[in-house]
Amino acid sequence: MSAHPVTGPSSFARVGRVLPAESIDDAAPPAVPRRARWSLVVAGLLVVLAAWQLGAAGWVHAKALLAQHLIAESWKSVKAGGVRKPWPWADTRPVARLTVASRGVDLFVLSGASGQSLAFGPGHVDGTALPGSGGNSVIVAHRDTHFAFLRDLDPDAEIAVEDAKGRVTRYRVRETAILDKRETRVLDAADSPQLTLITCWPFDAVAPGTPLRYVVIADRVA
Amino acid sequence: MGPAEWVGDNGKDRGSDMKKGTGGYRGVDSALADFIQLVGKAIAGGVAASLFFALCALGLATSAGAQTRPNDAKTGTLLFRAGPDGAFQPAPKVETDVTIHVTGLIARTRVAQTFHNPGTATVEGVYVFPLPENAAVDRLRLRVGERIIEGQVREKEAARREYAQAKAEGRKASLVEQQRPNLFTNAVANIGAGEFVRVVIEYQQSLAFEGGEYRLRFPLAITPRYVPAGGGLPEEPKTVEPLVAAGLKADDAEPLLHPHYVPASAGAANPVSIGVVIDSPVPLAKVTSSYQDAWVEKDSATRTVLYLQKEQVDADRDFELVFAPRPGEAPVAGAWSERVGDTDYALLMVVPPAPAAGKAAARLPRETVFVIDTSGSMQGRSIVQAKEALATGLSTLTQADRFNLVEFNSVTRTLWPAAMPVTESNLALAREWVGRLKADGGTEMAPALAFALGSDAAPGFLRQVVFITDGAVGNEDQLFKLIATKLGSTRLFTVGIGSAPNSHFMTKAAQFGRGTFTYIGDTAEVGTKMGALFAKIESPVLKDVQVRWADGTAVETFPPRVPDLYLGEPLVVAAAAPAIKGTIVVSGLRGNEPWSVALTPAASDRRTGVGALWARAKIASLMDDLRLGADEAQVRPAVLKVALDHHLVSRYTSLVAVDVTPTVAPGASATALVPASAPHGAGELPQTDAETTLHLLLGLLALVAAGTVAWIGRAAVPAERKVP
Repeated sequence: MSAHPVTGPSSFARVGRVLPAESIDDAAPPAVPRRARWSLVVAGLLVVLAAWQLGAAGWVHAKALLAQHLIAESWKSVKAGGVRKPWPWADTRPVARLTVASRGVDLFVLSGASGQSLAFGPGHVDGTALPGSGGNSVIVAHRDTHFAFLRDLDPDAEIAVEDAKGRVTRYRVRETAILDKRETRVLDAADSPQLTLITCWPFDAVAPGTPLRYVVIADRVA
Repeated sequence: MGPAEWVGDNGKDRGSDMKKGTGGYRGVDSALADFIQLVGKAIAGGVAASLFFALCALGLATSAGAQTRPNDAKTGTLLFRAGPDGAFQPAPKVETDVTIHVTGLIARTRVAQTFHNPGTATVEGVYVFPLPENAAVDRLRLRVGERIIEGQVREKEAARREYAQAKAEGRKASLVEQQRPNLFTNAVANIGAGEFVRVVIEYQQSLAFEGGEYRLRFPLAITPRYVPAGGGLPEEPKTVEPLVAAGLKADDAEPLLHPHYVPASAGAANPVSIGVVIDSPVPLAKVTSSYQDAWVEKDSATRTVLYLQKEQVDADRDFELVFAPRPGEAPVAGAWSERVGDTDYALLMVVPPAPAAGKAAARLPRETVFVIDTSGSMQGRSIVQAKEALATGLSTLTQADRFNLVEFNSVTRTLWPAAMPVTESNLALAREWVGRLKADGGTEMAPALAFALGSDAAPGFLRQVVFITDGAVGNEDQLFKLIATKLGSTRLFTVGIGSAPNSHFMTKAAQFGRGTFTYIGDTAEVGTKMGALFAKIESPVLKDVQVRWADGTAVETFPPRVPDLYLGEPLVVAAAAPAIKGTIVVSGLRGNEPWSVALTPAASDRRTGVGALWARAKIASLMDDLRLGADEAQVRPAVLKVALDHHLVSRYTSLVAVDVTPTVAPGASATALVPASAPHGAGELPQTDAETTLHLLLGLLALVAAGTVAWIGRAAVPAERKVP
């Protein structure tokens, strides 16, 4: 019946699996071993867990980065005398821009130091002097995002703060200290203009909620 | 690193055990056994990963440690930088000895503060300390070796200059300034290395007399006070929503110097001993200290002594003395006088009797608004007390009344937009709401007060606001203004909660709110104190009170307008005139009948310190005018005159004592705030972890574990195939 010439090994044999002779009598289909299946399930679950945890960390960092870009727009409007919010449902607004040239840091400081606003940027503590004005102005931020650079800050680093009127005030680090979180005296008013930056310490603590704070105090230089 | 090692050790053990245990099994259990075995392997794999990360973390931590210099400061050590060379010094310490002498309604208190400099360099110590809100501080003595230097009252700026000069010249000096009427600072310059400097401050005050008991409070701790940033009064109070505000700015609030708290781990900071001598012509039925255990001894028929030892008093909660004459011997009226220069001063006290049965004004149905402070400073025992007080308050309501609940921290929330009738279901709803309250956030008091005082009572209802708080605010003056302008026919009753409420705020708020202040210092007192409060606020005992002299002499009395008096409350008035003689007539409306009493001060009632009390009352009244919008240009000279004439510390005057000879080398010395004990549930710096380290570590661990499991799974395949 076949009208086609057979020119070589059958095409069937070429596409199909070539099985070793001794396994042909193995009637059952070659099942995936049980142990391997289990390991895949467990590995899959662990990958999901990893994705979740890394995602959570990435989300915090992404929020911290992205928000700063949105705030940059809002800051332009604030400086022009406007009141544009960084995003429509934001409950905070930028009050200053903090730069540390030696560390390549450029951050927008938000009003208030609540947990919500700290996710997006450093927060200016309500009730302390506004950055650039006289007295003690206090800015706090997360140790693992915006203020992670504090650990590498030079002992006499210069910090510049621009206020909403475009005036730039320069501060030089006077001292750093590690204090208990109950030492609210670092929030006290000061006679001379100074900038106090606070973040949690140690920087590498795995568990959140440490009782210690890393405090950088800088005096105004110009 | 600790937790990582812990997981590692356990994981390793468990992993090897599992392998042994599941060796030869197959069948139904085999899947489970295999799974457990795999988990064991995964954990063992995790050990390697966690050890790796732990080593990384150790490396990072070490490099961080190399960068930060004062890292060797332990939590319990308080250091400050002395001088430009950057040497760190321990902060000076203060020991306080308090001696209170009580005679009748007047108390004279001597507070001796001994500053000690444990360091090796000369320092200036600055101690922030509270005093009773009505303290007339009129004397300061600085003791240097055997010499005693008497302090002088000066205009605030002049006092600062005098002090600064002495400090620069190496002379010892002490400057006592008022930050708030109940919060003072004492700065002591040039405390040499290892030196002790003793400063004695004296003040005069009148006691509270209520319900037949005398009460005297000596504050020992300062609750950190919240100064709101923006915001102020809402135009149209809304419920549920955060109240956006315009009007008053926080700039109106004077800056506050917060005390520098000792970390909880460091133990008692500044020991205090308290001794009280009570001279009473009538026998006393009880003498107690409300919150500390005290020794009480009877010295003679008329003198009782009470004292608290230094070891037992840590300055973290207020001291309260309560004493009462035997029933029936309690005074119903009293008058004390003093002649200073060419002026007579008098202090009058009258306890109006309760209206006779049947003559009392009918009880009006009440519309009660309970306002509860749920800010961060209320955390711990305070919020428990506050909730209990609220529950007690709810149980006093009757079917005819109406009520509403308001809570505030950073935002204000209300149970209902307007007061609702008292029904079983409404009460149940309210109790559930109270049960869910948690203390957290700021103390934005203005929107809550504005809401509570904002609406008028329904016709036929007596509107009362019961305000439960620790008063930990720094913008007192704004709030007083708000209360005075919004009050209307409402009455405001403040209930002070916690170990150290701001009683200046609480008493003044009640005064502007034409109500009363109740202090609850202990959970055990909630029932009785709240019960007494609700019993007395049913209706005032005496209204429209007038004080005049029978012979028509013009007499300057303070407070200028006597408030309505509630059950058990006395009328206390300070008066001054060139010559006070003859009979004084106090009249008013008792229940619904006119009532009056005549008093004639006797020569035997002469008492020193009455003049200072009058001056303090006058300053308080002038400062009230300022809060209500009077021009500071007029108030300031008036306050200055009274304060300088009577040698008192006020917002515009300070006491300064300066030694004549230098005792240390002149030059710049460092300034250190003397650490103070924090009250229970004190303020904290913000928490600043974004928790990414934890997430990152867990994520990487899981990833490594997943990889390990997958690898083990693949490696296991050939083994499986050998099974026949």
